[in-house]
Amino acid sequence: MAAKKGKLTKVLDHLKHEDPFSKGVAFCPGCGLELLLRFIPQVLGNDIVITGTPSCSAPVLLGQNNQSWHKLSYFGTLMTGAAANATGLARYYKKAGIDNTVVCFNGDGTAADIGFGNLSGAAERNEPFIYICYDNEGYMNTGIQKSGTTPYGATTTTTPKGSISKGKNLRRMNLALKMAMHKIPYAATATLSDLDDLAKKLLKAKEAKERGFVFLHVLAPCTTGWGHAPENTIEVCRRAVKTNYFPLWEAVNGKIKMTKEVKKPKPVKTYTELSKKFVNMTEEDHQILQDDVDYEFCILGGLSQLEGECQLPVSAED
Amino acid sequence: MITKAKEKTQIKVITGNAAAATAAKLACPDVVAAYPITPQTEIIEQISKFHANGEMDCELITVEGENSAMNAVTAASLAGGRVFTATSSWGLVFMYDAVLAAAGSRAPIVMVNVNRETPGIIAVSSGQQDMISTRDAGWIFLIAEDCQEVLDLVLQAYRLAEDYDIQVPVMVHYDGFYLSYLSEGVDVPFQEDVDTFLSVLKDQPQRTKLTPGEGLGCGSHGILGGYLELRHKHVSAMERSKEKFDQIDKEYEQIFGRAYGGQIEEYRMDDADVVLVGSGSMCGTIKTVIDEKREAGIKVGLLKMRMFRPFPGEVMVESLKGKKAIGVVDRSLNFGHKGGPFYTELKSFETKFEGSPMVSFIDGVANTDITTANVATMIDTICDLAAGKEVPEVTWVSYPEANDPDSAKVGGQ
Repeated sequence: MAAKKGKLTKVLDHLKHEDPFSKGVAFCPGCGLELLLRFIPQVLGNDIVITGTPSCSAPVLLGQNNQSWHKLSYFGTLMTGAAANATGLARYYKKAGIDNTVVCFNGDGTAADIGFGNLSGAAERNEPFIYICYDNEGYMNTGIQKSGTTPYGATTTTTPKGSISKGKNLRRMNLALKMAMHKIPYAATATLSDLDDLAKKLLKAKEAKERGFVFLHVLAPCTTGWGHAPENTIEVCRRAVKTNYFPLWEAVNGKIKMTKEVKKPKPVKTYTELSKKFVNMTEEDHQILQDDVDYEFCILGGLSQLEGECQLPVSAED
Repeated sequence: MITKAKEKTQIKVITGNAAAATAAKLACPDVVAAYPITPQTEIIEQISKFHANGEMDCELITVEGENSAMNAVTAASLAGGRVFTATSSWGLVFMYDAVLAAAGSRAPIVMVNVNRETPGIIAVSSGQQDMISTRDAGWIFLIAEDCQEVLDLVLQAYRLAEDYDIQVPVMVHYDGFYLSYLSEGVDVPFQEDVDTFLSVLKDQPQRTKLTPGEGLGCGSHGILGGYLELRHKHVSAMERSKEKFDQIDKEYEQIFGRAYGGQIEEYRMDDADVVLVGSGSMCGTIKTVIDEKREAGIKVGLLKMRMFRPFPGEVMVESLKGKKAIGVVDRSLNFGHKGGPFYTELKSFETKFEGSPMVSFIDGVANTDITTANVATMIDTICDLAAGKEVPEVTWVSYPEANDPDSAKVGGQ
């Protein structure tokens, strides 16, 4: 018990600011998005400007449900131009000399699919704000459709089980790695089972955005869309990390470093077995997903090793 | 246009695009975001040059597409900045969702749109179809006739967009190719005069700004009652913008010695029997032909529309009522109607004209020149109409094959 209590205090130490969200907000029980959304301003402060798109975050974040809301400055943007809107805010504040932390907070549909172009553009221009993708692996708010980060084998309403199909038959894109390859000041992955890691990354993000663009990719399971028990949200995150399905790493100027080493990775099946969205996968499908997870992890390891060996151009160093 | 001699002037021979860029520079925006597209590109090249030489102290965002340009300037505007962007044709429609959202959030953006056709990628030619595709976005639309007016309208647009009683984005349109690349003598205002003209805005109450830590939000617009309230306020602001624009035009004259008449410019209208209604660069040609026809004893005038959104119906009725015939020249099509867009909209005021019959002329689309001969044909047609002859309701002036003898007619006793 004593050890556990110590761990808890470590996380709470990072929560230096008030939770700006009222109780009883309109999220499902066990919502990963809500936990993340409440966590960010408690670490970064309540003086952030948060932008969001039409999504599950809209009812609470963007004032659609003003019976239970928050106290942050916010801007509801289009999915197509989420990063461009954050750019406009950050650039104006810079011009006007207004201290600011703009947090562009979007789901994977915006980040990986419809808004990827301007996300990449903002990264290329090294715009001074923090982009956080809460990845629930699909379009949950519109009723669980497939996105670019939906994993192989997952059943969604646009990758349904049919007589000749049984889920998504394509691999997921590695969004975080793509963003790190922009060689931005800071890119990282994080999830809700490792809050100390998440808090540290948020603080690094705040510091790094003084040098330019920051991208955080946070796995945020959706109980409704994934079909896991609400009390299992954190466990799903934990197993995603322990199976290397969602490895935790960071990249400073593109230089990748693992922030959590998993000594003996568990089979990916220990992750998939918690969520109904994987229920239609056969042993063979699991092998395909396992191979993909192993491959991605191997690439990550290889890249982090290579980055150590290759000399980063002086111009890319801060 | 009324011009009064001034003690100090600086006339420069510049293109319409350079006039737009110069006006943007003189307005001192905080944030400029833009993406290149023919025939607008020269504007952002010029601004980039101003910026690179330290002549323009703005945040310049060289975005990866027009959609981002509109999103970026919308956000910067709502944060409190003065913003500028420019585009054309495909660029305008690529930012369409953001154009709607900019209006929905009442962001006082000034954007230049250099009119170009949009039916296919090789239709790189002048025409107002891009403007028509966005006419119901909730923006104020102004249209310039020549390079001087491009510059003047951009400056007037800032006064209109950012006015505390208006707060509606303004799009300044001018004909691609005809004006974008045409070099003319332009009286470039001095910075201190522009500062004086725009300083009125500083004396007004400040608009609500999205500021860190202040717990303010925007962008979601609301539903049901909240939606109706915001929309009605928007519509009311559009209505107010008509007289406001007239007023701004008068104030502009006091400082710069040039006035155009506000929502509309009237050319030899006082004693005119027949009238052409036009907009943009065609008006220069129309004025020339009117002068010739006047010498031949034909009392013809021009009503030039400087404002298209909101539709300046009241002042047009005042100007047009009692005339013997009206011809409306459209540089775009109104799919679903035979006549052009300006014609169709003006038609809704027809009962107030005290009997003046109207016809539609479609010309100048896809770079077909609206020649002096074409304008003469149009004037002859409305003279026939005034004389009680039957004429086609719609004439594609540069495409006679379209003019079916069995098509709808107006007039005839």
